[in-house]
Amino acid sequence: MGITLVKKNSNEIIGYKQEIESIQKAITDFESGQKLDIAIISEPFAGRSTLVNAIEEMTAYKITKRSFSSIVRNKEELMFPERPKRIVVIDNSHFFYLRTIGGFDILEAFLKSVISSNNLFITTWNLYSWNYLHEVINIGQFFPIQLKLPKFTPTDLKELILSGYKEDELEFLDDVTSEDKRIINFFRYPVTIKGREKTINIPFLTINFDRLRFRLSRKEEKKKAEDIIFEMIYRVSNGNPGVAKVVWEKSLEYPIIKPSYVRENSFKIDLDYTESFILYIILSMESLTKEEIVEITGEIKVDKILYRLAHQGLITVDHGYYKIRPEAFNSLVDYLKKSRVIW
Amino acid sequence: MVDNTNFPGVEVPIKPIDLGTILSSILIIIGAYLVTRIITYILIRVSERAGARRITVKMVVPLLKFAIYGIALYYILGFLISLSSTQLIAFSGLLGAAIGFGLKDLFADVIGGLIIIFEKPYQLGDKVKIGDYYGEVSDIGIRATRLVTPDDNLVSVPNYLIFTQAVASANAGSPEMMVVIDLFIDLDSDAELAMSILKEAIVTSKYVYISKKRPFTVILEDYPFYRRIRAKAYVYDLRYEFEFKSEVTRRTWKEFSKKGITAPQVNVMSEKTMC
Repeated sequence: MGITLVKKNSNEIIGYKQEIESIQKAITDFESGQKLDIAIISEPFAGRSTLVNAIEEMTAYKITKRSFSSIVRNKEELMFPERPKRIVVIDNSHFFYLRTIGGFDILEAFLKSVISSNNLFITTWNLYSWNYLHEVINIGQFFPIQLKLPKFTPTDLKELILSGYKEDELEFLDDVTSEDKRIINFFRYPVTIKGREKTINIPFLTINFDRLRFRLSRKEEKKKAEDIIFEMIYRVSNGNPGVAKVVWEKSLEYPIIKPSYVRENSFKIDLDYTESFILYIILSMESLTKEEIVEITGEIKVDKILYRLAHQGLITVDHGYYKIRPEAFNSLVDYLKKSRVIW
Repeated sequence: MVDNTNFPGVEVPIKPIDLGTILSSILIIIGAYLVTRIITYILIRVSERAGARRITVKMVVPLLKFAIYGIALYYILGFLISLSSTQLIAFSGLLGAAIGFGLKDLFADVIGGLIIIFEKPYQLGDKVKIGDYYGEVSDIGIRATRLVTPDDNLVSVPNYLIFTQAVASANAGSPEMMVVIDLFIDLDSDAELAMSILKEAIVTSKYVYISKKRPFTVILEDYPFYRRIRAKAYVYDLRYEFEFKSEVTRRTWKEFSKKGITAPQVNVMSEKTMC
């Protein structure tokens, strides 16, 4: 799930400047005796693991780091060194709970150790798991500093993507035709009359909303192909850096990229409630095995449901772990919000 | 052909009713019926995609029905009578008398329907109890409100009952609704553990909805021969009321049996009955 937000040939991180400052301030306060535990909360693919890795490298203080990629079932994994006082970084803390009866024991033990320990805890959480835990156990009370990672700006996205290439390595070509640049276009739709073998053309107009948006923002004339491409990637990814990187990689025909290569994936999502719930569970945990999904939902037809979710292009399976497909991320979040599976 | 009706002092000009008038009136009624059916079909489909606004979108349906049938009635009356303002007053008196004698109930139903739409004691899609009947409001018509009961019976409740009966709406226009789940355990079982299990069964249910405005509670009550654990929580969509109840109860009892929490013994229950 991790993406790299670090510039090539340097350790400088792109984006999240304000969040890094807040974390550094909390570390300075910890050094002077004030312990304010931190929760870094983000959508999947937003790069929170890279962020804590960068924090680890930036900090001179002794850090103990644990990164989880699957459900934690053993309390011994929560044993942290007590003396001397340290900074403990826990990446993907949402793996401490499972949405089942008895599935909160590990999380409760962890929260107990957070409040009773002298260590400073820097934790990362999936946004949807955090929101759920916030309503159910008011998890926010354990972490005085909560940093919700913001969406990337188009400039940050551009910097992030281009940081992986040399200057002039890529060729940006504008293939937007003059027809595509018009706001209103007329088309003729051929209709064949049954029995008469005659085709008539029905004229109708279409509105090019992309161009309309550009015109309204009055930036169109100055735009280069490069800017158009990055605006498109920003719109498709909705500012999520991990999704933007995947869209970029799928659009690039090395070393050429054109606006027409950037495809907005449209997902026709049609799910019943149980399917939506399973999709939500995968979204909020980020990585689950089939057995864990069965344990959470008690659903015996889980194979069929996972097949349907994969068939609609919403999830993928990687070494037995079911995960959200980055390209489908924004569409499925919209769908789950609309159907109120996400509270 | 019908003679003009004479009213003391004012003459109400009723137009001659011929075949054309009858056909036009029938066509208007059919047209109004078809338009309402099409609009109802479209809006119900749209409402299912509207998420949290499902019930609000559905409430447009009865409003449009009243408007369409009102316009249809206006045109039909227009075929039959043409009135000046003085004649309109006189005709209103005549209509009032007709309503008073013969169409009282129908008129009360129509007014009741309008009050239901504007005052919203319940809305389309709500779970309500009217008189002896409990169910989901599937339609608010000109004359009656239709409820679908939990055992799938369609009950028509006249709209005028809104004036005489108390109406209980379980969700008052929201898609989510509070559900109360009662479980009974014997006195020897660990009540604290049982409460904790029921709480976890609630918060992990796929049907639950929790927010600041929609909290959940689990309470314990002692009775002479057993204990009652009551959970109050919101189901995310009132249509899943019974699935929510059933799922939570099933999962809780499964966990109870693992932890040795048992139901009150039958002989104790009979003892209680005897008392």
